[in-house]
Amino acid sequence: MNLFFQQIINGLTLGSIYGLVALGLTLVYGILHIPNFAHGALYMVGAFMSYFFMTDLGMHYWIAMAGSAAVVAVLAILCERLVFHPLRNSPPIHDKIAAIGILLFLEAVVQMFWGSDFRRLSSPFTGIMNFDGLIIPEQRLLIIVGAFALVIALQLFLRKTMTGATIIAMAQSREGAFLVGIDANRVAMMTFAISGVLAAVAASLYAPINLVYPAMGHLVIMKAFVIIILGGMGSIPGAIAGGMIIGFAEAFGGFYISTAYKDIIAFGLLVLILSVRPQGLFAKGAH
Amino acid sequence: MKKVKALGQAVAAATLGMTMTAGAMAGEVNIGFTGPLSGGAALYGENTLSGLRMAAEEINAAGGFDLDGEKTTINLVALDDRYSPAQAATNAKRLTQESNVPAIFIPHSGGVFALQDFNEEDNFLVMAYTSVPTVTEKGNSLTLRIPPTFDGYVRAFTDYALENLGTTLGMAGATHEYAKIWASMIEKEWTSKGGTVVANNPMDYNKSADFFTGVSRIIAENPEVMFVGGASEPTGLVVQQARQMGFQGGFIVMDQAKIDEVAEVAGGMEMVEGAIGVVPLSVYETEAAKSFIERYQDKYGKMPGSEAAYNYLALHGLVEAMDATESTDPKVIRGAIGNALADMETSKNPYEVTDVTDKGGFVTETTLAVVKDGKIVREAIE
Repeated sequence: MNLFFQQIINGLTLGSIYGLVALGLTLVYGILHIPNFAHGALYMVGAFMSYFFMTDLGMHYWIAMAGSAAVVAVLAILCERLVFHPLRNSPPIHDKIAAIGILLFLEAVVQMFWGSDFRRLSSPFTGIMNFDGLIIPEQRLLIIVGAFALVIALQLFLRKTMTGATIIAMAQSREGAFLVGIDANRVAMMTFAISGVLAAVAASLYAPINLVYPAMGHLVIMKAFVIIILGGMGSIPGAIAGGMIIGFAEAFGGFYISTAYKDIIAFGLLVLILSVRPQGLFAKGAH
Repeated sequence: MKKVKALGQAVAAATLGMTMTAGAMAGEVNIGFTGPLSGGAALYGENTLSGLRMAAEEINAAGGFDLDGEKTTINLVALDDRYSPAQAATNAKRLTQESNVPAIFIPHSGGVFALQDFNEEDNFLVMAYTSVPTVTEKGNSLTLRIPPTFDGYVRAFTDYALENLGTTLGMAGATHEYAKIWASMIEKEWTSKGGTVVANNPMDYNKSADFFTGVSRIIAENPEVMFVGGASEPTGLVVQQARQMGFQGGFIVMDQAKIDEVAEVAGGMEMVEGAIGVVPLSVYETEAAKSFIERYQDKYGKMPGSEAAYNYLALHGLVEAMDATESTDPKVIRGAIGNALADMETSKNPYEVTDVTDKGGFVTETTLAVVKDGKIVREAIE
């Protein structure tokens, strides 16, 4: 029975990280109407920023995480201002190319400064909790709790505040938002900033149990793409549910069937869900 | 300050790269390299290249070598193949056509096999940094295999583990081609000598974000020994997670991973207690190895791994062979490199390679390392 609960913990950990990254991706989709390929690079920069603040400047883990979130938020806003905003009237393919350009650029910059070495980010939470054989490292618990707290905070922000409502309005209908006088520039910048914060926090939470290196974003972003397709492009509950579905599929499929097949299980689920609901689990309609 | 220096190095590297494409000038021999310089395996590629760079700079700092009465320097032309055999083949074509290189260094078996399809025809030496035995057994006349083959390790590690650690094995290797060959060989060796394999669950280092699930699957079968391997750093994560889940036994570490680097990621030497693997260069007590480590640390500020040391000595050997034969013809160099290595100064030869077999394998004494009481100890292989 312990092994079963162990997999629940594993699924929750993975699902939390995937969900956070997918959330940022899905929010930006509401603005750009294309998946932001550079999101994985923002995630990677987030991990490197936390690493830099902790190792080189000696900051505490939480402060480093906050600093990293701020830096990546600014970086995401810069991407919007300097790259995506000037392209707003171009065909969508230009946005896609630009996003891939940003991805390659950020990776090259990080590799130039830090090299391609694998680095470890050490968090203060290195203990291991053992509940009668059920093993939960503290950092993993922190990931789960942190992700849930962040998702609830984001929900409150979007549902209960006027600024949050403008983001949702913009995602639902661009023209409608303009008609009621919403400042599109402000909303776009804010959305990018939030996506940057989510990516940086996810990376800083996850990095202590993993490695920090320039190509670390590829893996997570690939899963995040699957998740937002699964959950419905642009849907916030979809990103969270999709993240959990993929996380649990990997944990349980990997344990009870074989880790060699866990991707098949995850992608099999994707095919199954899309054949029943082609627009994804939570999408309200095609864009 | 460190960042500024790194920036400077990057600019220097970029300008160097520009001059490289200009082709060989008089009194200069181009030597090719294709390996992963970006992506997940970039560190490995760069470490390999660092050994080659160091050798080239030493040769050039001494004014080059004597080629038929003319002082000749070495120009290293490095191309990125992102670990892809297809890209490695394209790079090799480019290197031979644009830079007319007599030899290409390449640190991955897939790429080596790709190059062996046309290297005899296009007339260049494949300097293979891979321990897959078939690389040289295929009988390619212009291939040199730099490190020892791993079949010797498979036997030695199995014998030692069965004798000292236990008879049940949990397989937690990796899913890349090299790891698969290793795993199947060790599985065969293990069962033929009376051990049992209780779990088999290789980790996919390219597709898995987390190894907890895979590791818990193996731990659930209670093995006494775990087979792990892949690049050192992810292997370190696997080891750490196995210990976190209460695994008490020893590890057989595939030769791609280095025990000292694994320990660093896993959180200290006590995490890898009872591990068997190849001897990290840092444990070598010989003069030749120590002198190399010292110079490397001065230059790059970190501990060299075997990929740096082996490629360093291989480039030195290659140049000695050109010097001795007054030729850059790959066939001539291939014939002379055995003697050249044996005659080379020991400071250029950290692993003290003494000969090259008929099929092109460098001959070194193979030893194994075990972790006892928190220390890496070198043991002879019978």
